[in-house]
Amino acid sequence: MLLEARGITKAFGSFKAVDDASVTLEQGDILGLIGPNGAGKSTFFNCLTGDLRTTAGRVLFEGRDITDLAPEQRAQLGLARTFQLPQTFEGMTVLENVMIGAFLRAAHRTEAETKARAVLERVGMIRLADAPARSLGTPGRKRLEIARALATEPKVLLLDEAMAGLNAHEVKLAIDLVRDIHRAGITLVIVEHIMEVIMSLASRVMVFHQGKEIARGSPREVTANPAVIAAYLGTRAAKAAAGHTPIELMGGPT
Amino acid sequence: MRRLLWLSVLAAVAIAYPLLLSSPFQQRLGALVLLYAIAASAWNIVGGYAGQVSVGHVVFFGCGAYAAMGAYAKFELSPLFGIPGGIVIAVVLAAVIGVPTLRLSGHYFSMATIAVAETMRLIVTNTDYLGAAVGLSGPTVARNIFDLSFISSLPYYYLFLLVLAITLVITWWMANSRMGFYLRAIKDSERAARSLGAPARRTKLYAFMLSAALTSVAGALYAMMFGFVDPESGLGILISVKILIMAALGGAGLLFGPLVGAAILVPLEEISNSVLGGKGAGLTFVVYGAIIVLIARFQPGGILSLFKRRSKPASEAGAPHAP
Ligand SMILES: Nc1ncnc2c1ncn2[C@@H]1O[C@H](COP(=O)(O)OP(=O)(O)O)[C@@H](O)[C@H]1O
Ligand SMILES: [Mg+2]
Repeated sequence: MLLEARGITKAFGSFKAVDDASVTLEQGDILGLIGPNGAGKSTFFNCLTGDLRTTAGRVLFEGRDITDLAPEQRAQLGLARTFQLPQTFEGMTVLENVMIGAFLRAAHRTEAETKARAVLERVGMIRLADAPARSLGTPGRKRLEIARALATEPKVLLLDEAMAGLNAHEVKLAIDLVRDIHRAGITLVIVEHIMEVIMSLASRVMVFHQGKEIARGSPREVTANPAVIAAYLGTRAAKAAAGHTPIELMGGPT
Repeated sequence: MRRLLWLSVLAAVAIAYPLLLSSPFQQRLGALVLLYAIAASAWNIVGGYAGQVSVGHVVFFGCGAYAAMGAYAKFELSPLFGIPGGIVIAVVLAAVIGVPTLRLSGHYFSMATIAVAETMRLIVTNTDYLGAAVGLSGPTVARNIFDLSFISSLPYYYLFLLVLAITLVITWWMANSRMGFYLRAIKDSERAARSLGAPARRTKLYAFMLSAALTSVAGALYAMMFGFVDPESGLGILISVKILIMAALGGAGLLFGPLVGAAILVPLEEISNSVLGGKGAGLTFVVYGAIIVLIARFQPGGILSLFKRRSKPASEAGAPHAP
Protein backbone atom coordinates (compact mmCIF):
# COMPACT_ATOMS: atom_id res chain seq x y z
CA MET A 1 0.00 0.00 0.00
CA LEU A 2 1.42 3.35 -1.06
CA LEU A 3 -0.73 5.82 0.84
CA GLU A 4 -3.26 5.21 3.53
CA ALA A 5 -5.43 7.53 5.60
CA ARG A 6 -7.11 6.10 8.68
CA GLY A 7 -10.06 7.86 10.29
CA ILE A 8 -9.06 11.39 9.35
CA THR A 9 -11.06 14.08 11.12
CA LYS A 10 -10.37 17.77 10.67
CA ALA A 11 -12.34 20.24 12.74
CA PHE A 12 -12.27 24.02 12.43
CA GLY A 13 -13.56 24.99 15.85
CA SER A 14 -16.57 22.78 16.42
CA PHE A 15 -17.23 22.38 12.69
CA LYS A 16 -15.96 19.10 11.26
CA ALA A 17 -14.91 19.80 7.67
CA VAL A 18 -13.76 16.18 7.39
CA ASP A 19 -15.32 13.55 9.58
CA ASP A 20 -13.69 10.15 9.99
CA ALA A 21 -12.56 9.64 6.39
CA SER A 22 -10.35 6.72 5.38
CA VAL A 23 -8.78 5.82 2.09
CA THR A 24 -6.14 3.52 0.67
CA LEU A 25 -4.09 4.03 -2.43
CA GLU A 26 -2.24 1.31 -4.30
CA GLN A 27 0.69 1.81 -6.63
CA GLY A 28 -0.71 2.66 -10.07
CA ASP A 29 -4.11 3.87 -8.87
CA ILE A 30 -5.87 6.96 -10.05
CA LEU A 31 -8.15 7.78 -7.17
CA GLY A 32 -10.85 10.36 -7.80
CA LEU A 33 -12.16 12.44 -4.91
CA ILE A 34 -15.45 14.05 -5.79
CA GLY A 35 -18.22 15.87 -4.02
CA PRO A 36 -20.08 19.16 -4.16
CA ASN A 37 -18.39 22.42 -3.20
CA GLY A 38 -17.60 22.61 0.48
CA ALA A 39 -17.75 18.84 0.88
CA GLY A 40 -14.32 18.77 2.49
CA LYS A 41 -12.25 17.49 -0.45
CA SER A 42 -9.52 20.10 -0.21
CA THR A 43 -9.42 19.83 3.55
CA PHE A 44 -8.96 16.06 3.36
CA PHE A 45 -6.36 16.54 0.65
CA ASN A 46 -4.46 19.04 2.80
CA CYS A 47 -4.40 16.55 5.66
CA LEU A 48 -2.72 14.05 3.35
CA THR A 49 -0.08 16.57 2.25
CA GLY A 50 0.60 17.97 5.69
CA ASP A 51 -0.68 21.48 4.98
CA LEU A 52 -3.22 20.92 7.73
CA ARG A 53 -2.74 19.08 10.99
CA THR A 54 -5.35 16.41 11.48
CA THR A 55 -7.64 16.63 14.50
CA ALA A 56 -7.73 12.84 14.63
CA GLY A 57 -6.55 9.95 12.49
CA ARG A 58 -3.28 8.81 10.96
CA VAL A 59 -1.67 9.11 7.54
CA LEU A 60 0.69 6.38 6.35
CA PHE A 61 3.03 6.47 3.39
CA GLU A 62 4.60 3.18 2.31
CA GLY A 63 3.66 1.82 5.72
CA ARG A 64 5.38 4.63 7.58
CA ASP A 65 3.36 6.95 9.83
CA ILE A 66 3.76 10.46 8.39
CA THR A 67 0.99 12.15 10.38
CA ASP A 68 3.46 14.42 12.18
CA LEU A 69 5.70 15.22 9.22
CA ALA A 70 5.84 18.71 7.70
CA PRO A 71 4.84 19.21 4.04
CA GLU A 72 8.46 19.48 2.94
CA GLN A 73 9.31 16.19 4.62
CA ARG A 74 6.42 14.49 2.86
CA ALA A 75 7.64 15.96 -0.43
CA GLN A 76 11.02 14.41 0.29
CA LEU A 77 9.36 11.01 0.67
CA GLY A 78 7.65 11.34 -2.70
CA LEU A 79 4.36 13.10 -2.13
CA ALA A 80 3.69 16.03 -4.47
CA ARG A 81 0.68 18.26 -4.88
CA THR A 82 -0.90 21.14 -6.75
CA PHE A 83 -3.09 23.86 -5.27
CA GLN A 84 -6.70 24.55 -6.12
CA LEU A 85 -5.79 28.22 -6.39
CA PRO A 86 -2.44 28.20 -8.21
CA GLN A 87 0.40 29.34 -5.95
CA THR A 88 2.67 30.59 -8.70
CA PHE A 89 6.03 32.06 -7.73
CA GLU A 90 5.22 35.40 -9.34
CA GLY A 91 8.70 36.86 -9.18
CA MET A 92 10.25 34.02 -11.16
CA THR A 93 10.28 32.78 -14.70
CA VAL A 94 8.40 29.64 -15.69
CA LEU A 95 11.68 27.72 -15.72
CA GLU A 96 12.66 28.95 -12.26
CA ASN A 97 9.27 27.91 -10.89
CA VAL A 98 9.95 24.38 -12.04
CA MET A 99 13.53 24.51 -10.78
CA ILE A 100 12.19 24.97 -7.23
CA GLY A 101 10.67 21.52 -7.57
CA ALA A 102 13.78 20.11 -9.23
CA PHE A 103 16.04 21.35 -6.43
CA LEU A 104 14.51 18.73 -4.15
CA ARG A 105 16.61 16.08 -5.88
CA ALA A 106 19.32 18.25 -7.43
CA ALA A 107 21.79 20.11 -5.27
CA HIS A 108 23.19 22.36 -7.98
CA ARG A 109 21.71 24.98 -10.19
CA THR A 110 22.78 23.53 -13.52
CA GLU A 111 21.46 20.11 -12.59
CA ALA A 112 18.14 21.58 -11.42
CA GLU A 113 17.89 23.59 -14.63
CA THR A 114 18.47 20.54 -16.80
CA LYS A 115 15.80 18.61 -14.94
CA ALA A 116 13.37 21.53 -15.06
CA ARG A 117 13.82 21.91 -18.81
CA ALA A 118 13.12 18.23 -19.30
CA VAL A 119 9.89 18.56 -17.31
CA LEU A 120 8.82 21.64 -19.28
CA GLU A 121 9.48 19.73 -22.48
CA ARG A 122 7.33 16.90 -21.20
CA VAL A 123 4.36 19.10 -20.30
CA GLY A 124 4.62 21.12 -23.50
CA MET A 125 5.71 24.41 -21.93
CA ILE A 126 9.31 24.57 -23.01
CA ARG A 127 8.64 27.55 -25.28
CA LEU A 128 7.56 29.50 -22.22
CA ALA A 129 10.63 28.62 -20.14
CA ASP A 130 11.98 32.16 -19.95
CA ALA A 131 8.65 33.96 -19.70
CA PRO A 132 7.83 35.56 -16.35
CA ALA A 133 5.41 33.24 -14.57
CA ARG A 134 3.14 36.15 -13.70
CA SER A 135 2.33 36.57 -17.39
CA LEU A 136 0.63 33.17 -17.49
CA GLY A 137 -3.14 32.85 -17.54
CA THR A 138 -5.12 30.28 -15.58
CA PRO A 139 -4.47 27.33 -17.92
CA GLY A 140 -0.75 28.06 -17.95
CA ARG A 141 -0.63 28.41 -14.19
CA LYS A 142 -2.49 25.17 -13.64
CA ARG A 143 -0.09 23.36 -15.92
CA LEU A 144 2.89 25.01 -14.27
CA GLU A 145 1.67 23.70 -10.91
CA ILE A 146 1.75 20.21 -12.32
CA ALA A 147 5.16 20.73 -13.90
CA ARG A 148 6.64 21.96 -10.62
CA ALA A 149 5.22 19.01 -8.73
CA LEU A 150 6.54 16.57 -11.36
CA ALA A 151 10.00 18.06 -11.02
CA THR A 152 10.16 16.73 -7.45
CA GLU A 153 10.04 13.21 -8.97
CA PRO A 154 7.08 12.10 -6.85
CA LYS A 155 5.66 8.65 -6.26
CA VAL A 156 2.22 10.07 -5.61
CA LEU A 157 0.84 13.22 -7.18
CA LEU A 158 -2.21 14.89 -5.68
CA LEU A 159 -4.09 17.26 -7.97
CA ASP A 160 -6.62 19.64 -6.41
CA GLU A 161 -9.06 20.70 -9.13
CA ALA A 162 -6.30 20.95 -11.69
CA MET A 163 -8.89 21.42 -14.43
CA ALA A 164 -11.19 23.98 -12.85
CA GLY A 165 -11.39 27.11 -14.92
CA LEU A 166 -10.25 25.45 -18.16
CA ASN A 167 -12.31 25.32 -21.33
CA ALA A 168 -13.28 22.04 -22.96
CA HIS A 169 -10.23 21.92 -25.20
CA GLU A 170 -7.85 22.74 -22.36
CA VAL A 171 -9.51 20.08 -20.20
CA LYS A 172 -8.84 17.55 -22.92
CA LEU A 173 -5.18 18.54 -23.05
CA ALA A 174 -4.96 18.34 -19.27
CA ILE A 175 -6.53 14.88 -19.27
CA ASP A 176 -3.94 13.77 -21.79
CA LEU A 177 -1.22 15.12 -19.55
CA VAL A 178 -2.56 13.27 -16.51
CA ARG A 179 -2.71 10.04 -18.52
CA ASP A 180 0.84 10.59 -19.60
CA ILE A 181 1.92 11.11 -15.99
CA HIS A 182 0.11 7.95 -14.96
CA ARG A 183 1.79 5.95 -17.72
CA ALA A 184 5.11 7.11 -16.36
CA GLY A 185 4.30 5.18 -13.20
CA ILE A 186 3.07 7.92 -10.91
CA THR A 187 0.11 7.18 -8.67
CA LEU A 188 -2.51 9.90 -8.66
CA VAL A 189 -5.17 11.38 -6.42
CA ILE A 190 -7.38 13.79 -8.31
CA VAL A 191 -9.90 16.07 -6.69
CA GLU A 192 -12.46 17.27 -9.17
CA HIS A 193 -15.98 18.30 -9.36
CA ILE A 194 -16.10 17.98 -13.13
CA MET A 195 -17.55 14.49 -13.60
CA GLU A 196 -16.14 14.10 -17.09
CA VAL A 197 -12.64 14.22 -15.75
CA ILE A 198 -13.26 11.60 -13.11
CA MET A 199 -15.14 9.36 -15.55
CA SER A 200 -12.34 9.29 -18.06
CA LEU A 201 -9.46 9.03 -15.63
CA ALA A 202 -10.18 7.52 -12.25
CA SER A 203 -9.89 3.82 -11.54
CA ARG A 204 -11.60 4.28 -8.21
CA VAL A 205 -13.76 7.06 -6.85
CA MET A 206 -14.57 8.26 -3.39
CA VAL A 207 -17.47 10.63 -2.88
CA PHE A 208 -17.54 13.24 -0.13
CA HIS A 209 -20.57 15.03 1.19
CA GLN A 210 -20.55 17.32 4.20
CA GLY A 211 -17.23 15.98 5.38
CA LYS A 212 -18.23 12.33 5.19
CA GLU A 213 -17.58 9.61 2.68
CA ILE A 214 -20.94 8.67 1.17
CA ALA A 215 -19.86 6.28 -1.55
CA ARG A 216 -16.90 4.58 -3.14
CA GLY A 217 -16.33 2.30 -6.07
CA SER A 218 -15.77 2.49 -9.81
CA PRO A 219 -16.85 5.69 -11.54
CA ARG A 220 -19.93 3.89 -12.96
CA GLU A 221 -20.94 2.53 -9.59
CA VAL A 222 -20.79 5.84 -7.79
CA THR A 223 -22.56 7.84 -10.46
CA ALA A 224 -25.41 5.36 -10.34
CA ASN A 225 -25.60 5.62 -6.56
CA PRO A 226 -28.77 7.45 -5.44
CA ALA A 227 -27.00 8.95 -2.42
CA VAL A 228 -24.43 10.52 -4.72
CA ILE A 229 -27.05 11.95 -7.03
CA ALA A 230 -28.92 13.32 -4.06
CA ALA A 231 -25.77 14.94 -2.69
CA TYR A 232 -25.06 16.66 -5.99
CA LEU A 233 -28.55 17.68 -6.91
CA GLY A 234 -30.67 17.50 -3.78
CA THR A 235 -33.13 14.69 -3.11
CA ARG A 236 -36.04 16.15 -4.99
CA ALA A 237 -34.07 16.72 -8.14
CA ALA A 238 -32.77 13.21 -7.86
CA LYS A 239 -36.30 11.81 -7.95
CA ALA A 240 -37.31 14.05 -10.81
CA ALA A 241 -34.25 12.97 -12.71
CA ALA A 242 -35.03 9.30 -12.38
CA GLY A 243 -35.39 9.02 -16.16
CA HIS A 244 -31.98 10.46 -16.99
CA THR A 245 -28.60 8.91 -16.70
CA PRO A 246 -26.83 10.40 -13.72
CA ILE A 247 -23.70 11.20 -15.64
CA GLU A 248 -25.61 13.60 -17.87
CA LEU A 249 -27.01 15.41 -14.87
CA MET A 250 -23.59 15.96 -13.45
CA GLY A 251 -22.31 17.75 -16.48
CA GLY A 252 -20.65 14.75 -18.03
CA PRO A 253 -20.48 13.79 -21.71
CA THR A 254 -23.87 13.62 -23.40
CA MET B 1 29.89 39.18 -21.48
CA ARG B 2 28.12 42.51 -21.22
CA ARG B 3 27.69 41.93 -17.53
CA LEU B 4 31.38 41.30 -17.17
CA LEU B 5 32.09 44.57 -18.95
CA TRP B 6 29.77 46.50 -16.66
CA LEU B 7 31.33 44.84 -13.67
CA SER B 8 34.83 45.87 -14.76
CA VAL B 9 33.70 49.45 -15.30
CA LEU B 10 32.08 49.50 -11.88
CA ALA B 11 35.20 48.09 -10.24
CA ALA B 12 37.44 50.59 -12.05
CA VAL B 13 35.24 53.51 -10.97
CA ALA B 14 35.18 52.27 -7.39
CA ILE B 15 38.95 51.89 -7.25
CA ALA B 16 39.69 55.22 -8.94
CA TYR B 17 37.10 57.33 -7.09
CA PRO B 18 39.08 58.40 -4.01
CA LEU B 19 42.15 59.12 -6.11
CA LEU B 20 40.27 61.32 -8.54
CA LEU B 21 37.98 63.00 -6.04
CA SER B 22 40.54 63.23 -3.31
CA SER B 23 39.37 65.89 -0.87
CA PRO B 24 38.89 64.59 2.69
CA PHE B 25 35.15 65.21 2.40
CA GLN B 26 34.91 63.23 -0.83
CA GLN B 27 36.99 60.36 0.45
CA ARG B 28 34.99 60.20 3.65
CA LEU B 29 31.80 60.28 1.62
CA GLY B 30 33.04 57.41 -0.54
CA ALA B 31 33.94 55.36 2.51
CA LEU B 32 30.51 55.96 4.05
CA VAL B 33 28.74 54.95 0.84
CA LEU B 34 30.66 51.68 0.85
CA LEU B 35 30.01 51.09 4.54
CA TYR B 36 26.27 51.55 4.17
CA ALA B 37 26.35 49.49 0.99
CA ILE B 38 27.86 46.63 3.03
CA ALA B 39 25.16 46.90 5.68
CA ALA B 40 22.35 47.26 3.14
CA SER B 41 23.67 44.34 1.09
CA ALA B 42 23.76 42.22 4.22
CA TRP B 43 20.17 43.22 5.01
CA ASN B 44 19.23 42.42 1.41
CA ILE B 45 19.87 38.71 1.96
CA VAL B 46 17.03 38.37 4.40
CA GLY B 47 14.98 41.50 3.63
CA GLY B 48 15.30 41.41 -0.15
CA TYR B 49 15.81 37.84 -1.30
CA ALA B 50 13.79 36.19 1.48
CA GLY B 51 11.30 39.05 1.77
CA GLN B 52 11.51 39.08 5.56
CA VAL B 53 11.59 42.79 6.29
CA SER B 54 13.70 43.10 9.41
CA VAL B 55 13.61 46.55 10.99
CA GLY B 56 15.81 45.42 13.84
CA HIS B 57 18.98 44.74 11.93
CA VAL B 58 20.80 47.36 13.94
CA VAL B 59 21.17 44.83 16.78
CA PHE B 60 23.58 42.88 14.60
CA PHE B 61 25.30 46.09 13.57
CA GLY B 62 25.62 46.83 17.28
CA CYS B 63 27.06 43.38 18.00
CA GLY B 64 29.93 44.11 15.63
CA ALA B 65 30.44 47.69 16.76
CA TYR B 66 30.47 46.82 20.46
CA ALA B 67 32.65 43.75 19.91
CA ALA B 68 35.24 45.76 17.99
CA MET B 69 35.36 48.58 20.53
CA GLY B 70 35.10 46.11 23.42
CA ALA B 71 38.14 44.21 22.18
CA TYR B 72 40.16 47.38 22.62
CA ALA B 73 38.45 48.94 25.63
CA LYS B 74 38.29 45.72 27.66
CA PHE B 75 41.24 43.66 26.48
CA GLU B 76 43.49 46.21 24.75
CA LEU B 77 43.33 44.11 21.61
CA SER B 78 43.10 45.46 18.11
CA PRO B 79 39.47 46.14 17.20
CA LEU B 80 40.06 43.63 14.41
CA PHE B 81 39.86 40.88 17.02
CA GLY B 82 36.36 42.02 17.75
CA ILE B 83 35.16 41.09 14.27
CA PRO B 84 35.00 37.29 14.71
CA GLY B 85 33.60 37.78 18.22
CA GLY B 86 30.93 40.11 16.87
CA ILE B 87 30.04 37.63 14.15
CA VAL B 88 29.60 34.81 16.65
CA ILE B 89 27.43 36.93 18.94
CA ALA B 90 25.35 38.20 16.01
CA VAL B 91 24.79 34.71 14.60
CA VAL B 92 23.77 33.28 17.96
CA LEU B 93 21.49 36.25 18.58
CA ALA B 94 19.99 35.84 15.08
CA ALA B 95 19.19 32.21 15.88
CA VAL B 96 17.61 33.15 19.19
CA ILE B 97 15.55 35.96 17.62
CA GLY B 98 14.86 34.12 14.38
CA VAL B 99 13.41 30.87 15.64
CA PRO B 100 10.33 32.46 17.20
CA THR B 101 9.97 35.54 14.96
CA LEU B 102 10.51 34.04 11.50
CA ARG B 103 7.32 32.06 12.01
CA LEU B 104 5.47 35.36 12.04
CA SER B 105 4.33 36.72 8.74
CA GLY B 106 4.92 40.10 7.16
CA HIS B 107 4.35 43.07 9.40
CA TYR B 108 4.39 41.00 12.55
CA PHE B 109 7.95 39.91 11.85
CA SER B 110 8.95 43.54 11.21
CA MET B 111 7.36 44.68 14.45
CA ALA B 112 8.96 41.88 16.45
CA THR B 113 12.40 42.85 15.14
CA ILE B 114 11.82 46.50 16.09
CA ALA B 115 10.87 45.42 19.59
CA VAL B 116 14.00 43.30 19.95
CA ALA B 117 16.26 46.10 18.70
CA GLU B 118 14.77 48.73 20.99
CA THR B 119 14.93 46.38 23.96
CA MET B 120 18.58 45.72 23.24
CA ARG B 121 19.30 49.43 23.01
CA LEU B 122 17.69 50.01 26.41
CA ILE B 123 19.59 47.13 27.97
CA VAL B 124 22.94 48.35 26.65
CA THR B 125 22.17 51.93 27.68
CA ASN B 126 21.81 50.65 31.23
CA THR B 127 24.78 48.29 31.25
CA ASP B 128 27.85 49.87 32.82
CA TYR B 129 30.18 47.19 31.48
CA LEU B 130 29.32 48.35 27.95
CA GLY B 131 29.80 52.00 28.84
CA ALA B 132 26.09 52.62 29.35
CA ALA B 133 24.95 55.85 27.65
CA VAL B 134 28.54 57.01 27.01
CA GLY B 135 29.57 53.95 25.04
CA LEU B 136 33.01 52.52 24.33
CA SER B 137 35.99 54.04 22.55
CA GLY B 138 38.68 52.59 20.38
CA PRO B 139 42.37 53.49 20.38
CA THR B 140 42.76 57.27 20.01
CA VAL B 141 46.25 56.93 18.59
CA ALA B 142 47.10 53.83 16.62
CA ARG B 143 49.64 51.65 18.46
CA ASN B 144 50.30 49.81 15.22
CA ILE B 145 48.66 49.33 11.85
CA PHE B 146 46.38 46.59 13.18
CA ASP B 147 44.52 49.10 15.30
CA LEU B 148 43.10 50.41 12.04
CA SER B 149 42.98 53.90 13.44
CA PHE B 150 43.73 56.33 10.62
CA ILE B 151 43.12 60.02 10.24
CA SER B 152 42.62 59.83 6.49
CA SER B 153 39.50 58.08 5.16
CA LEU B 154 41.46 56.55 2.32
CA PRO B 155 42.54 53.33 4.07
CA TYR B 156 38.98 52.84 5.28
CA TYR B 157 37.70 53.36 1.77
CA TYR B 158 39.74 50.49 0.39
CA LEU B 159 39.10 48.27 3.38
CA PHE B 160 35.36 48.82 2.96
CA LEU B 161 35.60 48.25 -0.78
CA LEU B 162 37.22 44.88 -0.14
CA VAL B 163 34.59 43.88 2.41
CA LEU B 164 31.80 45.04 0.10
CA ALA B 165 33.24 42.94 -2.70
CA ILE B 166 33.33 39.91 -0.41
CA THR B 167 29.76 40.59 0.73
CA LEU B 168 28.53 40.81 -2.85
CA VAL B 169 30.35 37.65 -3.87
CA ILE B 170 28.75 35.79 -0.95
CA THR B 171 25.34 37.20 -1.88
CA TRP B 172 25.80 36.30 -5.54
CA TRP B 173 26.86 32.80 -4.65
CA MET B 174 23.89 32.41 -2.32
CA ALA B 175 21.43 33.81 -4.85
CA ASN B 176 22.55 31.26 -7.42
CA SER B 177 22.46 28.34 -5.06
CA ARG B 178 19.52 26.24 -4.01
CA MET B 179 19.21 28.44 -0.93
CA GLY B 180 18.72 31.60 -2.98
CA PHE B 181 16.10 29.94 -5.16
CA TYR B 182 14.29 28.62 -2.12
CA LEU B 183 14.32 32.05 -0.48
CA ARG B 184 12.74 33.68 -3.52
CA ALA B 185 10.13 30.93 -3.66
CA ILE B 186 9.35 31.29 0.04
CA LYS B 187 8.94 35.03 -0.46
CA ASP B 188 6.26 34.43 -3.12
CA SER B 189 4.47 31.50 -1.51
CA GLU B 190 5.85 29.77 1.52
CA ARG B 191 3.13 27.15 1.30
CA ALA B 192 3.95 26.21 -2.27
CA ALA B 193 7.67 26.24 -1.58
CA ARG B 194 7.22 23.79 1.28
CA SER B 195 5.01 21.54 -0.81
CA LEU B 196 7.91 21.28 -3.26
CA GLY B 197 10.29 20.26 -0.52
CA ALA B 198 11.82 23.59 0.53
CA PRO B 199 12.47 23.54 4.28
CA ALA B 200 11.13 27.06 4.72
CA ARG B 201 11.85 27.72 8.38
CA ARG B 202 15.40 26.43 8.26
CA THR B 203 16.21 28.26 5.02
CA LYS B 204 14.90 31.57 6.36
CA LEU B 205 16.84 31.07 9.58
CA TYR B 206 20.11 30.42 7.71
CA ALA B 207 19.53 33.55 5.64
CA PHE B 208 18.87 35.53 8.80
CA MET B 209 22.06 34.23 10.40
CA LEU B 210 24.18 34.93 7.33
CA SER B 211 22.71 38.40 7.06
CA ALA B 212 23.37 39.02 10.77
CA ALA B 213 27.00 37.95 10.44
CA LEU B 214 27.66 40.35 7.57
CA THR B 215 25.75 43.17 9.26
CA SER B 216 27.90 42.76 12.34
CA VAL B 217 31.02 43.16 10.20
CA ALA B 218 29.57 46.43 8.90
CA GLY B 219 29.01 47.53 12.51
CA ALA B 220 32.57 46.70 13.46
CA LEU B 221 33.97 48.65 10.50
CA TYR B 222 31.75 51.60 11.33
CA ALA B 223 32.99 51.71 14.92
CA MET B 224 36.61 51.43 13.77
CA MET B 225 36.24 54.36 11.42
CA PHE B 226 34.57 56.58 14.02
CA GLY B 227 36.65 55.29 16.91
CA PHE B 228 33.76 54.83 19.28
CA VAL B 229 30.30 53.39 19.69
CA ASP B 230 27.40 54.47 21.87
CA PRO B 231 23.80 53.21 22.08
CA GLU B 232 22.62 55.75 19.50
CA SER B 233 25.29 55.19 16.85
CA GLY B 234 25.49 51.43 17.41
CA LEU B 235 21.93 50.44 18.24
CA GLY B 236 19.67 53.32 17.17
CA ILE B 237 16.62 52.24 15.21
CA LEU B 238 17.36 54.90 12.59
CA ILE B 239 20.31 52.85 11.34
CA SER B 240 17.97 49.93 10.66
CA VAL B 241 15.64 52.22 8.79
CA LYS B 242 18.43 53.77 6.70
CA ILE B 243 19.78 50.36 5.70
CA LEU B 244 16.34 49.17 4.74
CA ILE B 245 15.50 52.25 2.70
CA MET B 246 18.78 52.11 0.81
CA ALA B 247 18.18 48.51 -0.18
CA ALA B 248 14.57 49.17 -1.12
CA LEU B 249 15.40 52.31 -3.08
CA GLY B 250 18.12 50.64 -5.11
CA GLY B 251 16.26 47.37 -5.50
CA ALA B 252 15.67 44.81 -2.78
CA GLY B 253 16.48 41.28 -3.86
CA LEU B 254 18.87 42.53 -6.56
CA LEU B 255 22.60 42.09 -6.12
CA PHE B 256 23.59 45.72 -6.71
CA GLY B 257 20.39 47.31 -5.45
CA PRO B 258 21.73 48.21 -1.99
CA LEU B 259 24.90 49.74 -3.46
CA VAL B 260 22.84 51.94 -5.77
CA GLY B 261 20.61 52.97 -2.88
CA ALA B 262 23.59 53.82 -0.68
CA ALA B 263 25.26 55.76 -3.49
CA ILE B 264 22.16 57.96 -3.71
CA LEU B 265 21.15 58.37 -0.09
CA VAL B 266 24.47 58.72 1.71
CA PRO B 267 25.62 61.72 -0.36
CA LEU B 268 22.16 63.23 -0.01
CA GLU B 269 22.33 62.98 3.75
CA GLU B 270 25.96 64.09 4.07
CA ILE B 271 25.51 67.07 1.81
CA SER B 272 22.30 68.21 3.44
CA ASN B 273 23.97 67.82 6.83
CA SER B 274 26.97 69.91 5.82
CA VAL B 275 24.89 72.58 4.12
CA LEU B 276 22.15 72.83 6.70
CA GLY B 277 24.13 71.83 9.78
CA GLY B 278 22.06 70.38 12.61
CA LYS B 279 18.82 71.21 10.86
CA GLY B 280 19.86 68.81 8.09
CA ALA B 281 19.13 65.84 10.28
CA GLY B 282 15.46 66.74 10.41
CA LEU B 283 15.34 67.19 6.67
CA THR B 284 16.90 63.76 6.18
CA PHE B 285 13.96 62.15 7.94
CA VAL B 286 11.50 64.00 5.77
CA VAL B 287 13.37 62.80 2.69
CA TYR B 288 13.41 59.22 3.96
CA GLY B 289 9.70 59.36 4.65
CA ALA B 290 9.05 60.67 1.16
CA ILE B 291 11.22 57.94 -0.35
CA ILE B 292 9.29 55.23 1.49
CA VAL B 293 6.05 56.60 0.11
CA LEU B 294 7.43 56.89 -3.43
CA ILE B 295 8.86 53.37 -3.48
CA ALA B 296 5.67 51.89 -2.10
CA ARG B 297 3.55 53.80 -4.59
CA PHE B 298 5.50 53.70 -7.85
CA GLN B 299 8.40 51.30 -7.95
CA PRO B 300 8.24 48.55 -5.33
CA GLY B 301 11.11 46.83 -7.13
CA GLY B 302 13.45 49.78 -6.59
CA ILE B 303 15.46 51.80 -9.10
CA LEU B 304 17.46 48.91 -10.53
CA SER B 305 14.32 47.01 -11.44
CA LEU B 306 13.68 49.73 -14.03
CA PHE B 307 16.78 48.61 -15.88
CA LYS B 308 16.25 44.89 -15.65
CA ARG B 309 16.06 43.47 -19.13
CA ARG B 310 12.43 42.87 -19.94
CA SER B 311 11.97 39.18 -20.62
CA LYS B 312 9.31 38.42 -23.12
CA PRO B 313 5.96 37.52 -21.60
CA ALA B 314 3.95 34.46 -22.38
CA SER B 315 2.01 36.31 -25.05
CA GLU B 316 -0.44 33.52 -25.63
CA ALA B 317 -1.38 33.88 -21.94
CA GLY B 318 -0.05 30.50 -21.09
CA ALA B 319 -1.99 28.37 -23.53
CA PRO B 320 0.50 25.56 -23.83
CA HIS B 321 0.50 23.50 -26.96
CA ALA B 322 -0.18 19.85 -26.59
CA PRO B 323 2.86 17.72 -25.93
N1 LIG C 1 -9.30 27.16 7.26
C1 LIG C 1 -10.62 26.95 7.41
N2 LIG C 1 -11.27 27.45 8.50
C2 LIG C 1 -12.59 27.24 8.66
N3 LIG C 1 -13.36 26.54 7.80
C3 LIG C 1 -12.78 26.02 6.73
C4 LIG C 1 -11.38 26.20 6.46
N4 LIG C 1 -11.08 25.56 5.31
C5 LIG C 1 -12.23 25.02 4.87
N5 LIG C 1 -13.25 25.29 5.71
C6 LIG C 1 -14.63 24.84 5.57
O1 LIG C 1 -14.60 23.44 5.46
C7 LIG C 1 -15.55 23.01 4.51
C8 LIG C 1 -14.87 22.16 3.46
O2 LIG C 1 -14.06 23.00 2.64
P1 LIG C 1 -13.16 22.41 1.49
O3 LIG C 1 -12.37 21.29 2.01
O4 LIG C 1 -12.41 23.53 0.87
O5 LIG C 1 -14.25 21.88 0.47
P2 LIG C 1 -14.10 21.40 -1.04
O6 LIG C 1 -12.68 21.39 -1.41
O7 LIG C 1 -14.72 20.05 -1.06
O8 LIG C 1 -14.90 22.38 -1.87
C9 LIG C 1 -16.22 24.24 3.95
O9 LIG C 1 -17.44 24.41 4.62
C10 LIG C 1 -15.25 25.34 4.28
O10 LIG C 1 -15.95 26.55 4.50
MG1 LIG D 1 -11.62 22.40 -2.83
